[in-house]
Amino acid sequence: MKTIHEINIDNSSAVIDGKRIDTSRSGSQMLTELYRIYVNDYPKFFKMDILCKLGFIASELLLQAEGAPRFTDRADRADRAILFFNHSSSIQADKAFEETIRDRSDFFPSPSVFVYTLPNIVTGEIAIRNHYYGETNFIILNERDDERIRQVTEAAFTDPTTTSAIAGWIEAPDNHHFTAALKLITK
Amino acid sequence: MELKEELKTKLIEALNLEDVTTADIDDNVPLFGEDGFGLDSIDALELIVLLEKNYGIKIKDPKEGKNIFKSVSVMADYVAANRTK
Repeated sequence: MKTIHEINIDNSSAVIDGKRIDTSRSGSQMLTELYRIYVNDYPKFFKMDILCKLGFIASELLLQAEGAPRFTDRADRADRAILFFNHSSSIQADKAFEETIRDRSDFFPSPSVFVYTLPNIVTGEIAIRNHYYGETNFIILNERDDERIRQVTEAAFTDPTTTSAIAGWIEAPDNHHFTAALKLITK
Repeated sequence: MELKEELKTKLIEALNLEDVTTADIDDNVPLFGEDGFGLDSIDALELIVLLEKNYGIKIKDPKEGKNIFKSVSVMADYVAANRTK
């Protein structure tokens, strides 16, 4: 396997291939800042929970670093997998949804919050955006385990279809604390 | 606040339309579909919750929403005629 590009984002910085991206905000506002500067053509971003915003921005910056044509000549590709791992699942969205059903006298379950109460929604969001029809996988671990991530990624390449993957750790326990360490990897 | 303006404000808040102001939403533009404001089926469910929470209107069949949520004008007429709070 070969790492083509690598991105690391936490609540105060974003670093692509070892180079820090200029940002003036922190936390979720930093993700919005990055969206406005580097993407700005996908309004659905604003509806996403923090885990999806983080994964979406990280994947966008990785794919922009790759520099390959997007949304044009290779639509509906099945050769790229998305393999994500974390510890807190979709806990921020779970708590936000729980807030909408906590009070029996003010019981209004929010459909738009509910749709994000699964961690693998972020893999779906990225697959939809990029027309990826390959393997998507979201695994919950007790703690970050880079060797385990490497093993699962290696296993994904044993099928006859997968030739590259966006893979790594993506953790967002709340709106103010998050980490993404994703790689674009080829077989 | 006029009902249409009030609906637009609640709509922006409920649907997290971060880049949108009430002035951007024409009273008569279709809210759903690619030719209109681009809302989706999850947004429709959120609008059903909005009507119940704020105006006491219960829509039991989501298909009814197709007619009610055609535009802010249509929505306002429906709310004015059916609100219980």
